[in-house]
Amino acid sequence: MNKLIRTLALTLALCCLTAASPLALAGEVIDADLTCSITLGNWPADTAPEAEKALFEGYKATMAKQYPNVTLIPDYYSYTLSNYVPMAKGGTAPSIFQPPFTDPQLLISQNLVGDVTDALEAFGVLDKFSPSYVEMLADENGRIYGLPRDGYVLGMHINIELFREAGLMTEDGLPKYPTTLQELAEYGQIIKEKTGKAGLVFPASETYGGWLFTNIAWNFGCVGESALEYQDEDGRWVCNFTSPECVAAMEYMRDLRWKYDILNADATTTDWASAHSLLGTGEAAMNFAADDSVDQPTAYKGLPVEDFALIPFPAGDAGRYALAGGTCYMFAPNITKDQGIALMAYLKILGKLPFLDDDIIAGMRSDYAAKRDRGASVIPAISAWNDDEYNAAKQAIIDEFSNVDMRLYNDFFDSISEGTITLKSEEPVFAQQLYRELTAVIQRMITREGADVLKALKKAEESFQEYLDDEINDI
Amino acid sequence: MSGQNARTRSRARLAEDLKSWMIMLPGLILMTFFIWEPLLESVRMSLYKTRNIELVRFIGLDNFISVVGKDDFLQALANTFSYTFWSLIIGFALPVLLALLIGETVRGKSFFRTAAYLPNMLPGLAVIILWSSFFSGEKSGVLNILLGRLGIPQQSYLTRYEWVIPIIIIISTWKGAGATALIYMAGMAGVNPELYEAAAIDGATVWQRVFHILLPSIRKLAGTLLILQIISVFQIMYEPMVLTKGGPDNASLSLMQLMWQYAFGGSMNYGKASAVAVIVTLILLVMTAIYSYFNRKESDWD
Amino acid sequence: MKQPQRTGVIRDYDMHSASVRVGYAVVILLCILMVILAVFPILWVILAGFKDLKELIASTSIFPQSYDLSRFATTWAQLGIAKNYLNSLISVVGSVICALVFNGLLGYGLGTLKPKGYGIVKRLVMLSLLMPTTISIVPLFMNIQKLGLSNSFVPLWLSYGANAMYVILFVQFFESLPASIIEASRIDGCNPLQIFFHIVLPLSKPICAVVAIFAVNAAWSDFLLPYLVLRGGELQTVMVRLFVFSTDQTVNADAMMRSVVFSMIPPIILFFIFQKQLTENTVSVGIKG
Repeated sequence: MNKLIRTLALTLALCCLTAASPLALAGEVIDADLTCSITLGNWPADTAPEAEKALFEGYKATMAKQYPNVTLIPDYYSYTLSNYVPMAKGGTAPSIFQPPFTDPQLLISQNLVGDVTDALEAFGVLDKFSPSYVEMLADENGRIYGLPRDGYVLGMHINIELFREAGLMTEDGLPKYPTTLQELAEYGQIIKEKTGKAGLVFPASETYGGWLFTNIAWNFGCVGESALEYQDEDGRWVCNFTSPECVAAMEYMRDLRWKYDILNADATTTDWASAHSLLGTGEAAMNFAADDSVDQPTAYKGLPVEDFALIPFPAGDAGRYALAGGTCYMFAPNITKDQGIALMAYLKILGKLPFLDDDIIAGMRSDYAAKRDRGASVIPAISAWNDDEYNAAKQAIIDEFSNVDMRLYNDFFDSISEGTITLKSEEPVFAQQLYRELTAVIQRMITREGADVLKALKKAEESFQEYLDDEINDI
Repeated sequence: MSGQNARTRSRARLAEDLKSWMIMLPGLILMTFFIWEPLLESVRMSLYKTRNIELVRFIGLDNFISVVGKDDFLQALANTFSYTFWSLIIGFALPVLLALLIGETVRGKSFFRTAAYLPNMLPGLAVIILWSSFFSGEKSGVLNILLGRLGIPQQSYLTRYEWVIPIIIIISTWKGAGATALIYMAGMAGVNPELYEAAAIDGATVWQRVFHILLPSIRKLAGTLLILQIISVFQIMYEPMVLTKGGPDNASLSLMQLMWQYAFGGSMNYGKASAVAVIVTLILLVMTAIYSYFNRKESDWD
Repeated sequence: MKQPQRTGVIRDYDMHSASVRVGYAVVILLCILMVILAVFPILWVILAGFKDLKELIASTSIFPQSYDLSRFATTWAQLGIAKNYLNSLISVVGSVICALVFNGLLGYGLGTLKPKGYGIVKRLVMLSLLMPTTISIVPLFMNIQKLGLSNSFVPLWLSYGANAMYVILFVQFFESLPASIIEASRIDGCNPLQIFFHIVLPLSKPICAVVAIFAVNAAWSDFLLPYLVLRGGELQTVMVRLFVFSTDQTVNADAMMRSVVFSMIPPIILFFIFQKQLTENTVSVGIKG
């Protein structure tokens, strides 16, 4: 039934679009006069799966047909704040690159990214941004500097094999997964006892640990009055790590190591990639991770898709939040108007603008086919566009390529669509520094038995407050 | 007559000096471009409030005051001295010993020399990645495998705040000791073997020859290498960055790594980063001054 | 077969003493231990390269389950590493030439010619040895950009012509050369450049070999400046590639191990070539020159 409705919606959407505008077919020249060259960051590296490389070569070919005088220069550049700044300053930044949603405002305020408002206007998609993205990607004058690529919601990755071994299965043959943080600790203990493998892999290095911890802290009640960061009446940014809620959350982290002992051995040096490796190779049963990285443990680290599940972020005593964020496209500060148009045309071909035509549907199909071919789960994506028709049509195509038992994912997606879990974006200011401070506290908790939680949090709070005062309160 | 001679000589001397400077000129230009000018620029930045690499306004020593007042600076300072301490314990005598040992071998000397130097040829990045799997706390960590054979249970190494600095020093010593030994060997080769022969005939034991002929012959070299070692350890950054990311809980954070965090760790505060670098430099200058003071004193004694 | 000459503290004459013979045996044993410690990690990473991801992360055996070279072949092909090898080679050769010529000439000026005012430069060079160079990489990168030298090996080559460490090594060596020889050729009417190429350089093979080895090593291993200068371009070196992989989350730990092996092979091969020269030179030149 559901599928039927979706298919209908797709058909309708297609009809509407076809009726409304004369659509370009693949191979048809759209603008032969547009002459410029653009460098494309995040081009698949030589090590990328063949299917992915072929996909991007296909985009390139389409672009060459539609805009014969636009030169595409592939670039393997992968964004980090530290590598981007000197490039932007030196004029060598790629025309398009993909920063996380934590960075656009910083880049915009420092004039390190290019304005694409006019180009978006030219493509008629300016009004389809969901408002939260407009807020993230625009300056105070409403000029737009970026486009959402995709969003993610934090949940948990599960290695079903280890759950099975530990006897944590329901009668339906599904994993009996933890719905609360307390259960997480208990189930982790059972898994550790029965299998000898880590119940939970926790990447407590650099900023990852603090990043995941903020979500745990929210579920312990670090929101509203007890929020980790807030702006007081005078507009001064204040941090609060010493609320009873935050202390409780940090005590939970300490207990995961010393009371329940369910963490992986080298938590303090584990990064995002090695966390996926440990889960994917069956050395850990659970990993806090998002829906956009489900192909990490599976396609890249070798876990069969049938042994993988995605579950909602476990609830705490005081809340049920899930961190939501994403990646966006941003542009070099020195792009010209023509380059802006060419870049939007490229994104349109990639299917990243809310358009549906044969090319884009073909692109989506080949995208999902490529995913299925390399053993990655084909699952719905959380859309960054406020465009129901577009979203419904997309879902219909996903259903067609589905290679997984959706029962292993439904609870996650249902919790979002039914609102049983509250989506919350990252802490508003200097999140990376906040994460760094909190990671240090977590590291202290899991490396020193009986460490003083309040004292460590107090120290981190002072340090981060000083940072806030330096960076934004004192201007 | 003699005055004119002197003038001719001094003119010749001037021409020669000019030629000498011309010979040095290409090197000087490169030094300026690659080292001196960028360094001066950094010193200047340390006195400014920066926005990216633009200097917003002169703020005197504010960057220094702000940086020094923070806990992580004190921690990094203590860690950096700890790195230096461990590097002197583990890394200073070892190359001398290796040079001595290899120097005594007859057959296979070139083989031993090659083996000693081999680790130093490996790229630093590769070495860190390689050793990270040695010290992995997983049961597949190489040290855990080896110690497991001896019945020692699985250990976690890099999460021990008291172990991380010695571990990092062991890794850099593994990489560097052989190369330093080679330099010592070149120094030791300066001693004519006939000297040992003569001493032996005079009845000097092997140990006496080591302590009275061999070691004194490399004393100046050892002094130089010691100060170079301190300087390089004081600038340690890349190893903890890759291996432990400064953790756990800043237990392996070095001063230069702190500088890196200021510059590239999210806040892009090149002013404060430069301030840390300038502080490191000042400390090094003081240490060098102390060294050369004692060195001179010792020379006077000789 | 002729016994090689003893050059160490222990003389042939000492070997009549039993305790010295035992001591000598200990020396040999310690040297063998050193060889094991130096070589085992390298052997291990090669063995690890034969493992797949699951084996690497979970296996408690040093040895892989199978010696399947196709895993190396796959990674080799994926990396397209042949091209990166060539880039690294070009980068290394140019860097070594620059390191020898520019630092050698500067060292010659400071160590032998000592023109009026050389002391200031020498002190400046000593000072640059102390100053952490990492902080200056951003201003340096900007300078390179301004001159339009990015995406080229030229700045990388030239950066090796400005190495305080090499200059000081040269200076120390040149200072140790007997002044009489240089004085004699000066009286014979040789100009400083002729003296350098005809007298000093032939005497300088040991130090040139040491600096060359350092430069090969450094140029091959370097990735920070090369990453900024060659980034994304066709000129990427092996280490830049490895650095990109170490931050690129799609490269698995097992492929990483094989990349580490690939990054180690050329410097090891090159070292064996340099090593032979170095040994010969140090033995033959000695103090007598």
